[in-house]
Amino acid sequence: MPSILPALEWLEALAWATAIRESNWGYPIMETAHVASIVAFAGLVMVMDLRLVGLAFAQTPLTRIQRPLFPWQMAGFALSGVTGLLLFVVDPLRYYGNVFFRVKLVLLALAGFNALGFHLTIFRTVGRWDEDPLAPKTARLAGAVSLLFWAAIIVSGRLIASNWFD
Amino acid sequence: MSQAYRESLWLFAVTQALHLVAVSAFLGAILIVDLRLLGRGSDRQSHVGIARSAQRVLVWAGPAVLATGIPQFTANALRYYASPVFAFKMGLLAAALVFTVTVRRRVAGGDGDRLPTWISRAVGAVSIALWMGVAISGRWIGFSE
Amino acid sequence: MTGGIVIKTKIIPALLTAGVLCAGQSALAHHPFAAEYDAEKPVTLTGTLSRMEWVNPHSWIYLDVKQPDGTVQKWTIESSGPGAMSRRGLKKTDFVAGMSLVVKGYQGRQKPAIANGRTLVLADGRSFYIGTVGGPNDGADK
Repeated sequence: MPSILPALEWLEALAWATAIRESNWGYPIMETAHVASIVAFAGLVMVMDLRLVGLAFAQTPLTRIQRPLFPWQMAGFALSGVTGLLLFVVDPLRYYGNVFFRVKLVLLALAGFNALGFHLTIFRTVGRWDEDPLAPKTARLAGAVSLLFWAAIIVSGRLIASNWFD
Repeated sequence: MSQAYRESLWLFAVTQALHLVAVSAFLGAILIVDLRLLGRGSDRQSHVGIARSAQRVLVWAGPAVLATGIPQFTANALRYYASPVFAFKMGLLAAALVFTVTVRRRVAGGDGDRLPTWISRAVGAVSIALWMGVAISGRWIGFSE
Repeated sequence: MTGGIVIKTKIIPALLTAGVLCAGQSALAHHPFAAEYDAEKPVTLTGTLSRMEWVNPHSWIYLDVKQPDGTVQKWTIESSGPGAMSRRGLKKTDFVAGMSLVVKGYQGRQKPAIANGRTLVLADGRSFYIGTVGGPNDGADK
């Protein structure tokens, strides 16, 4: 399998990547936007998951919570992703080799599959259980898994900065 | 000796990471109400119920934020004490708390339906600005040596 | 929930948890600085600049330090990022390979030829604080 390293080095050498890397304000603003958009967007996912699991908002139908939040969740995710990408190119080789970065990406993918699986299966029948304080078991499981994953994503993201396994 | 230092490094970083998780849950419970205030005009029935449920989440998430925030402060009290950005964050936090338990509570509650839409929208916007401001200035402390 | 109940069942346990987390962290070694660098081992390094990585979040100064026995020891010094450097009056162009520099800082624990920089003195005598957050005196050694 061809090595990804030349691609990473190419990214690192891009003019705008260098500009962010050497910036006075650009990097701090980018990184702060990344953290702020993640905690906000993950928070919206968490409250939705709390309803799914039955721990909060039990008197409110699930869709009354999920539908208005969805566009904001997507916007927050998009901002997190864009800022994340811009941060990555600042030091691609270091992040690529960082165990917490890898764990974070894997967890992101798993969280995505969990959400997709939920939407394609049990969520299709939501009309039947929307108002039940206790959702069907598979729905509650998806919610619990999501809560766990997003907490873990935030933790592993923060730990990227700690150079313990360099 | 260095083993103990390594372990305390781990504890500091994990405490900070858990602080972010608690902040996230807290912000979610704040934003879900604020976003509804912003979009007020439709779906009035559920607003009050959601605001009440959100408050119950805040009652759990808030102390969690405190419990993970205080150790960070004490670990480096001199640094934070001297930091103008930290002072700004605490000021914003105070303002956000006062605003939330006074103005926003009234507007998000049953009374809010009698008020013109622009007031609900303004309250929602101010709340988002205050609370996101707390989160943003929290991160900015690290960039403001 | 009334305020009194919240204080009893939520705030107090939260403060207790905070207390436990505080107690779990030893007196000195909280900030990441202390786990990687030794506040008891200050160093003063005089040498020539091999290269300067002017990068976020922290810059890296590579210094060739001539030893008394004639050999050259290569030191890596972690210092503040571009934003902080600029605010303190330094520019990327102030760092030219081959220039003489004095750096004061604290030696690394696991990796001996690494230091956390605190003060930089240029050949013309100008002195700058180049510290990153944390460290003893929390910046009082500026």
